[in-house]
Amino acid sequence: MRGRSRTAIWAGLAVVVAVAVPQTAWWDLNHTVFAQAVVSGLLIGGVYSLVAMGLSLVFGVLDIINFAHGALMTITIYVSYLLFQNYGVDPYVSLVVTIPLMFVVGVGIQRFAINPVMDAPVHNQLLLTLGIAIIIENLALVLFTGTPRSIELAYARNEFDLGVVTLDFPLRVFGAVVSLPKLIAFLVALLLAGVLYLLIQRTQLGAAIRASAQEPEGAELVGIDVRRIYMVTFGIGAACVGAAGSLVLPFLFVAPTAGATFTIIAFVVVVLGGMGSIPGALVGGLVIGLTQELTQLFVPGSKFLGVFIVFLAVLLFRPEGIFGKAQR
Amino acid sequence: MKRTTVLLSLLLSLVLVAAACSDDDAGTTTTAAAESPATTTAEEAPATTQAAPATTQAAPIEPPDPILIGAIHPLTGGLAGAGNRMDNGARMAVDEINAAGGIASLGGAPLELVSADSTGAAEVGVSEAERLIGDGVSALIGTYQSGVTLPVAAVAERDGVPLVIDVAVDDSILDQGYTYTFRIQPNATSMGTNGAKFLSELGGDEIKTVAYLHDDTAFGVSVSEAFTAAAAALGIEVITDIPYAPFSVTDLTTEMAQAAAGSPDVIVVTGYYGDGLLAARAATDLEVDVKAIVGIAQGAFHTPQFVEDFGADSELFFNSNYHFNSSDPIVAGILERFEATFDDAMDTEAMLAYQAIYVIADALERAGSSDPADVQAALATTNIADHFLAYPGPITFDDTGENINAEPVLMQVVDGAVQQVFPAELRETDPVFPGTPWGG
Repeated sequence: MRGRSRTAIWAGLAVVVAVAVPQTAWWDLNHTVFAQAVVSGLLIGGVYSLVAMGLSLVFGVLDIINFAHGALMTITIYVSYLLFQNYGVDPYVSLVVTIPLMFVVGVGIQRFAINPVMDAPVHNQLLLTLGIAIIIENLALVLFTGTPRSIELAYARNEFDLGVVTLDFPLRVFGAVVSLPKLIAFLVALLLAGVLYLLIQRTQLGAAIRASAQEPEGAELVGIDVRRIYMVTFGIGAACVGAAGSLVLPFLFVAPTAGATFTIIAFVVVVLGGMGSIPGALVGGLVIGLTQELTQLFVPGSKFLGVFIVFLAVLLFRPEGIFGKAQR
Repeated sequence: MKRTTVLLSLLLSLVLVAAACSDDDAGTTTTAAAESPATTTAEEAPATTQAAPATTQAAPIEPPDPILIGAIHPLTGGLAGAGNRMDNGARMAVDEINAAGGIASLGGAPLELVSADSTGAAEVGVSEAERLIGDGVSALIGTYQSGVTLPVAAVAERDGVPLVIDVAVDDSILDQGYTYTFRIQPNATSMGTNGAKFLSELGGDEIKTVAYLHDDTAFGVSVSEAFTAAAAALGIEVITDIPYAPFSVTDLTTEMAQAAAGSPDVIVVTGYYGDGLLAARAATDLEVDVKAIVGIAQGAFHTPQFVEDFGADSELFFNSNYHFNSSDPIVAGILERFEATFDDAMDTEAMLAYQAIYVIADALERAGSSDPADVQAALATTNIADHFLAYPGPITFDDTGENINAEPVLMQVVDGAVQQVFPAELRETDPVFPGTPWGG
């Protein structure tokens, strides 16, 4: 029964590929375009990783499916935008504001909204986070109107003399273009992933978070305030996506729905990487970024087709994700 | 066991949200809530009725009932920016008509705008149209999106209430033989054919090949198809055609690199504002080696906001699109009043919504009746020469309801301002071609 359905699914995937590939002239692919797809995929993948890390942490530790994750990102996109427009604060400098701010917002949401429903059925929690997302999006709509706005960094297309080497942005790598804002977002995302990994693996707080995730009652017994750990964890998750908001501002645009675009992708990344796994989110983000851009090469206009094929395949064949531990 | 349940519910909810997102982002469930402020503002309209009865003092009869006009636009979701500006444009027209004494042939009856939120989704647009018709509107305007307008036009036809399309481009909306739907803006064929004509006039023999980057909704597909057919007749070949999903893309660099890969003479872009900005950024980062980037019915490249936000990099982008008549002093006055009232720059979409109200007011005046069927009959014989758009002739509808004089103009950002460059009689400055900010 199980074997037969798997065969049917493989057959289905084979049909999709067989139908899609001949429609594209994949064999005469231009090398520059291929390089561009790889570069763009990795760069956007870094941002996906950062967004997904927060989501994964919240899911892995609290077992909460946070649909408000993208909306939290929208908040910092607006905060960074307003700081830039009104006070000329560089979006990267505004990380100093947005990361702590979103930590506090996250702790607040967990304390006042989610903690009370921790034991409620999963669909109640899900609707609650969806409700928070709708409130945030519509608040942004009322306050800032729906008009998309954008900023351009004055130094995004400059030369930087680093002594050893002069970097002329946008950089060219094998003919592919690397824009400065995307490179910065990618590097900062990797850095934050490292910091978060060390925090979870090497600190006492991290140990408490891991304990609360694995065995909440046991953690409670040895004196860990699990509710407090939940608040801190949700705060860290919100801080991750908050950082992502500030980082994407210079190459995306500001609109009430800007962050929501990332929510679905982040869920795919979390499932792919494994719930609660930081390295999983990092690798998952890069894989999904690459999948999306390479799909665009082979099936123009269907960027997300490949992403969802990967998503379904992971759910069916390795539901615990690449880095996740099997549950049974 | 528990994990499986969680995963299943996650998958289910993802599918649900994805369905909602394909037209719009999660705004669907908010309709009722988001709408109440809009209807409250609509209720402010009767305030102007108190001013109107000044003339009716001699005969102390009751002031005439307001005439309801329904406006359906995406007031929430990814297109909320344009949708709210259009709603504001319509509201301003209603206020001005009321301040000038309402509809004279109906005893100075004032207009009342009833706003509705399509959320960008076809099914919501339909249910809102049905609600407004139930409320007794004499006519509808809307809806900014072809995909929403198509089913709304069907409702208008079925219930016999005229729909004046301010913005929605797809030809097929009026291909159904409807008699109750009228369109002020150029349709996809007009957009595509005129776009191709402008390219050929602009470049002569220098434009032989085109790469086309367009959104994958009814809007982008219909315009690109019309362009491709018209361009072929003029000896211009579309060598690459790349669609993209306008509301979920966060980067168009790969798409732009694909478009540039075939070394086309020109890259043509059709889409909405946000994705247009991403396309412009990708072209600038890549410094694509083409003679020009030309928008056709593109939602960004001809707007003051694009020039403001994208700065010096916006220089020399072309766009062939509908445009208000920027050389008309009356239009300049409208732009000023809009800016003063809403603290927001008026764009052509808002002007088209503003115009739609004037077209309906003109029909009401001539019909001397607010009955939808009479309004429809009057709309069919519309002939408005003093309109606000850059068209070669008056607004007048053919048998299918198309405005026969609806044509786009070609604009270019020159010296930090959007200027009309084609046709010659509407030219504000000479086009710069070949012209890209990074090229020769």
